[in-house]
Amino acid sequence: MNLASINKPGVNRTGVFILLGLLLLAVVALNLTLGSVRIPLKDILRVLFGQGGVKDSWVFIIQDYRLPKIVTAILAGMALGASGLQMQTMFRNPLADPFILGINSGASLGVAIAIMGAGLAGGLFIPALNLAGDLGLVAAASLGAGAVMGLILLVGRRVNNPTTLLILGLMFGHATSALVSLLIYFSAPEKVKAYSIWSFGAFNGVTWDQLQVLLPVILFALGILAFLPKGLNALLLGEDYAKTMGLNVSRLRLLVLISASILSGAITAFCGPIGFIGVAVPHIARNLLKTSNHKLLIPAVILIGAIVAVMADLVAQMPGSQFVLPINVVTSLFGAPFVLWIVLKRKRGATTFNV
Amino acid sequence: MRTPLLSTQNLEIGYINGKPARKVVGSELNLELYQGEFVCLVGPNGAGKSTLLKTLTGLLPLLGGEVFLGGKRLAQFTRKELANEISVVLTSPIEVGAMTVNELVAMGRFPFTGLFDRMSQRDWEVVQQSLEMVGMTGFEERMVHKLSDGERQKVMIARALAQEPRILVLDEPTAYLDLPGRVSIMNLLHELARYHDKTVLTSTHDLDLAMRSADRFWLMSPVGKVVSGAPEDLVLSREFQRVFTRDRISFDLMNGNFKVADSSEGQVCLQGDGEARVWTERALQRIGYSVSFTNEACIGLRVAVKPVESGFVWTVVEGEAVNEFFDIESLLTHLRRLTI
Repeated sequence: MNLASINKPGVNRTGVFILLGLLLLAVVALNLTLGSVRIPLKDILRVLFGQGGVKDSWVFIIQDYRLPKIVTAILAGMALGASGLQMQTMFRNPLADPFILGINSGASLGVAIAIMGAGLAGGLFIPALNLAGDLGLVAAASLGAGAVMGLILLVGRRVNNPTTLLILGLMFGHATSALVSLLIYFSAPEKVKAYSIWSFGAFNGVTWDQLQVLLPVILFALGILAFLPKGLNALLLGEDYAKTMGLNVSRLRLLVLISASILSGAITAFCGPIGFIGVAVPHIARNLLKTSNHKLLIPAVILIGAIVAVMADLVAQMPGSQFVLPINVVTSLFGAPFVLWIVLKRKRGATTFNV
Repeated sequence: MRTPLLSTQNLEIGYINGKPARKVVGSELNLELYQGEFVCLVGPNGAGKSTLLKTLTGLLPLLGGEVFLGGKRLAQFTRKELANEISVVLTSPIEVGAMTVNELVAMGRFPFTGLFDRMSQRDWEVVQQSLEMVGMTGFEERMVHKLSDGERQKVMIARALAQEPRILVLDEPTAYLDLPGRVSIMNLLHELARYHDKTVLTSTHDLDLAMRSADRFWLMSPVGKVVSGAPEDLVLSREFQRVFTRDRISFDLMNGNFKVADSSEGQVCLQGDGEARVWTERALQRIGYSVSFTNEACIGLRVAVKPVESGFVWTVVEGEAVNEFFDIESLLTHLRRLTI
């Protein structure tokens, strides 16, 4: 719990963090260089440091395409990893994450209402021309995410069984998807198309202007998280223990609800639903650091989330080809087997967050 | 007159959100808990022991009456204030994932470490002392999930001690432990009260152990009434037997344990002394004999045990037939054959 306990025999945690930092730099550099157009590293560096002498089209590709895309991916990974960790601890469920519990669907519903909803019509989203539109979208998605999460919390209060909770999330996901389908059914084709493009999920549609909205929103929600490690650690013992230790459990829940909803809602609003990063990243963090102490896990999931998202984007670019895969396709292809592995690895009597 | 640390006045306990909307589990509870005593809450399953403990620790609302902690009403305490009064150890095994013993016990300092959980020198000292009190010094860097159940429960007690409460409340802390583990935990609780002046309230099903180590019993009956008193007083006044006696299960006033009343095989006279007599008696009772030690009543079956060089010898006299055995197993085999 103090700095002295960061390093344990057998796990050099300082080393792990340094390695993760270097890895992040490496995947970012790789992501900058690879793409359908090949640009030498030397020229990329010139662009980054504002030196001239590089082809205008390359400057454009790097400044206005690859860089915002990478920043978006980093933010998305950080946000999804962090919200996954909070939710896994709060629900005491190693499989909880925004995607699996249907909270993304809530965000999608929010977006669907914003894009296709009758009253709000008029192209709030695509093309998202103004700050108000972007903020509105973030708000709609966060509210949708928060609503579903609140519902799950409410209904799931008495559910101790991890599987029941997952089924609950699944059902909420289905219900919200049905509502989205209903909206699609009654909407004009161009709005439906706008919505379905959004729903594929991508890091590359986000502009610098939109990042000016996304960045502070994500930093705000991560800022909330900075106050939560103590409470989340106490919650590891279970709600009753936490209460008798003096923790205000309802307030912690509310803060987690706000933070996780904004994190997953904002990312869903700008990048579409992205699965499995939220569930996988906290597990990677626990396994690397061999701890369930949130003081270490929170910075770790933020770093690892960024790395995983940038790597997923790298794969989505399919270097050497002209195609770009939807990001959710990549995360699902790699993430689904990972989740299966977690489920099968869980032994009877193993702890909830076993490593 | 001592003033109690904790007292209840006509306390009514139960659940509010169930069906029916208000389920009363116990009522008219007037109990007192004093500094430095070890109290065991005992009673049959479903009597409402957990409900009572949860109510006293503020985890369940009280349905009626009052609980006083140091003269102040329980309802007037905030969670934070209450954390300085009472700390708990609960029944179910914890699932905290990868965490060291030190980290877990340090959680007991939760009420003292501020928003960012800064552990001071004194906080670490308290952690160390708590581990010492439960005899787990040297386990600081071990992972909690790799400890044995008994060790883990001791660490949980250390965590509760590190919270520096006035009262330690435990809900069946021995439920998941093997027999040596149970003995060790009950003994530990006894010592905490006796030598460290801690006030300990625990519920338990280990009546035998509880009777040997508790200063007082809170004896809870199936109808949700609680009688309090020294274990021995409750036995002598027959309160204890009243609560626990079931069909065919009775409390042996002489031995202080429960036994199955079964005398389907009739009577047997037992002669002998010391440990051999005690264990022979148990063996005979197990296979359905009622045992008497008076010589006059001896018509029929007689068993005598006496020590010999190589151990013991058992002599069975039945009318004209006399048989000798050198262990209880063959004695029982013989007796079983007799009854067929």
